[in-house]
Amino acid sequence: MATLSRRSVLGAGSVSLGLLLTGCQGTATPGQSAAKLASELKIGLSADVPDLKPSRDQGAAAMMLDTLIHRGLLGYDAQGKVVPALAESFTPSADNKSFTVKLRKGLKFSDGSALTSANVKKTLEFLATSASGAKIYATMSKLESVETPDDLTAIVKLKGANVAFPSYLADTTAAILPDKAFSAQGTSWEGAGPFKLDTTQKGVSFTFTKNPEFYDAAKVNFEKVIVTVYADGQARLNALLATDVQLIDFVPWESFDRVKQDASLKLDPQSGPWMYLHFNVAKGGPLANEKVRQAIALAVNRENVAKAAFSGQANVVAGSPIAESSQFYDSKLASGWKQDVAKAKQLMAEAGYASGFDAVLLTSSQYAFHQDTALSVQPDLAAIGIRTTLDSGDWATRQTKAAEGRYDIAVAGSAGVVNDPSFLVNFVTGPAANNRSFGFDDPQLDALLQKGLEASTDADRKAVYNQVQERILTTVPFASLVGRAQAFAYSKKLTGFANIPGFLTFESGYTLVGAQLQA
Amino acid sequence: MARFVLKRLGLGIVLLWLVVTVVFLALHAVPGDPAAILLGSEGAGSVTPEALARVRSQLGLDKPILVQYTDYLLRLVRFDLGTSFRSTDVPVLSYISDRLPKTLELVFAAALLAVMVGIPLGALAARIGGLVDTLISSLTTLGISMPVYVIGTIFVLVFSLQWGMFPAGGYATLEANPVGHFQRLVLPAIALSFGIGSVVARMTRSSVLETVAQDWVRTARSQGLPRAQVFRRHVIRNSLTPVVTTLGLEIGTLLGSTVLIERVFTWPGMGSLLIDAVNARDYPVVQGIVIVIAALFILINLIVDLLYGVLDPRARQ
Repeated sequence: MATLSRRSVLGAGSVSLGLLLTGCQGTATPGQSAAKLASELKIGLSADVPDLKPSRDQGAAAMMLDTLIHRGLLGYDAQGKVVPALAESFTPSADNKSFTVKLRKGLKFSDGSALTSANVKKTLEFLATSASGAKIYATMSKLESVETPDDLTAIVKLKGANVAFPSYLADTTAAILPDKAFSAQGTSWEGAGPFKLDTTQKGVSFTFTKNPEFYDAAKVNFEKVIVTVYADGQARLNALLATDVQLIDFVPWESFDRVKQDASLKLDPQSGPWMYLHFNVAKGGPLANEKVRQAIALAVNRENVAKAAFSGQANVVAGSPIAESSQFYDSKLASGWKQDVAKAKQLMAEAGYASGFDAVLLTSSQYAFHQDTALSVQPDLAAIGIRTTLDSGDWATRQTKAAEGRYDIAVAGSAGVVNDPSFLVNFVTGPAANNRSFGFDDPQLDALLQKGLEASTDADRKAVYNQVQERILTTVPFASLVGRAQAFAYSKKLTGFANIPGFLTFESGYTLVGAQLQA
Repeated sequence: MARFVLKRLGLGIVLLWLVVTVVFLALHAVPGDPAAILLGSEGAGSVTPEALARVRSQLGLDKPILVQYTDYLLRLVRFDLGTSFRSTDVPVLSYISDRLPKTLELVFAAALLAVMVGIPLGALAARIGGLVDTLISSLTTLGISMPVYVIGTIFVLVFSLQWGMFPAGGYATLEANPVGHFQRLVLPAIALSFGIGSVVARMTRSSVLETVAQDWVRTARSQGLPRAQVFRRHVIRNSLTPVVTTLGLEIGTLLGSTVLIERVFTWPGMGSLLIDAVNARDYPVVQGIVIVIAALFILINLIVDLLYGVLDPRARQ
């Protein structure tokens, strides 16, 4: 068991690594009734992963594979707490600008090559380059240096304080990779995770075998994991019902009841990505006026969106998308945009748009729930005089138009990289992008978010993020709608696997270490 | 005959070039940027115009369309279909060579079932008539009018989920798991064969009825040949020419139907690859698949033309 420094405290959530090192990944007790355990797990996955690219955001399916193949310095447990992975300790400096990483001894990649601090340095520096297209680039771009005094130590220095930095390093895309992954056409099919890729049938399945080099191999109960791609939601569910697989991701919302009715299956939903409207404020005109955006946020009937687009399997989000279980949740601020059509009309009049205006509502027909969300909010907007024309193309078109500002109002669905409210920065600031209001700029909000990263105590952070939420209610960089349920379904014979709460639902593959399946 | 085959092959190449050109232009004309897909799936993070531009440049999509077209044609004459946008180290040809046999297996299993069931059923309806004819005609009407994905879904519900006789879908390789392979082939093949089998049965029925009314059949019977022998040896064979034509065209249609049935049964053939590639705007893969399907269509029609000669010696002249 590793010895931890007294200052080895993770900023986000102030989680002590000492506690975490006692082994709280999963709930299984390996070794017990081993004779009755299955050595093979079959997973039905919602999408193919043609290639794994280092550090990229390739969606939920790729993240599942990442959690099997890779490990970063840190990871998540079933409750979403940051836990050590390749790092034996991760010690922040008092100002949260520098982090000392001590690696576990004897770490190896699945090909048998040694994993040292040099690999940590190379990986973190890669994540900090814009050309990497890294999912956590916004955070990693603040990297100042990585020093490697010896093979087991890395000192990571940031240009500014970031108390939430460990949470970002716990993301699957921050996995420590071998050097060859960083070549021009490098892929990341090899890592230091609990499993290694054995065979692939392109577009069909991936077979993984246990990685004996994994630092926690004793806790891995499966000799083999077979991941089969079932792109169609119904086909995926059928595979589970027919016991062709024991675990599926992304259960279709309309099928929740079907799974619940089956006594041999468990439905494990969490509030995952959230749906919202964002605006093109760069054009000037009505949407550049925050009163109009407030009116829109107040006009929307969110219960209708949940029913129309998600078969009722979504929760209302009438403020910033901060989970109720979070210490930063504030019930009053979370319902700041509760539907109030009269007030919305009043705001429209105050903004000088009492008779309304015409607007293009961008959505995508490729995902029914995006289109249904747009169809649901359309009459709500009409009720306050905003006459919208639906622009409903395929997903690629939606993304391009949103990134280039060719819309007035857009429907979006997205998730934070982490549950820590620092994730909000991605939705309110930065260069033009597909998932945030085009041309929106609020230096006061940016300053508050920066303050949130620098605040060191929980109380200070809570106070700052309350101000952030208040500011968001006023300036409306986005109008939240609902948090959609993201569910796994699995055989009740599978224990130890858990859907990690909030945006971390896509990291749930981490909990397969320690999970076990009754034969 | 050789001249005929060469002429048809020449026409086929011209047709292929037209198909390539139309598909290339159509793909580039429709809105939707492959870079936007590569940079983030639904629910994923930010896609900035700078990132879009960088990926477009990596994929060569920032070059003028004429340059892209010329490059593509030059590669094509060297049988190089390029590499997938989504996996730049995997040649399109590798994707296709991996998926095509699976689709062909499904198509030929369905066609075989259609022939084995459709021709006897059609002949039976024509020969016996009455209630049997009505029953078979009703069945074939149902087979033609029912969408293939509905049949497939019913099969999954009944044979997989209700009775547990077959897996609900997926694929197992023949080498690693031959039993599992055929277990997973049965339902999609039968579902796919319903439509084509019904068409074959109806065509056989009408063709047999037409042939039976020919003078030479009456002559054969008047010369003392048994009715069953005349029917089996002469009527059926002479009725098959239009059936083979229809079958050839229907096999082409089957290639299209696999798109749906592969989705229902998660059969990893060309159809599901095409859907994924279109959604991802993976131009090289879409183009590659369309070229292969068009080539197959041309080839099947050529084979059908050649079969005329085998079945009906008059056609050779």
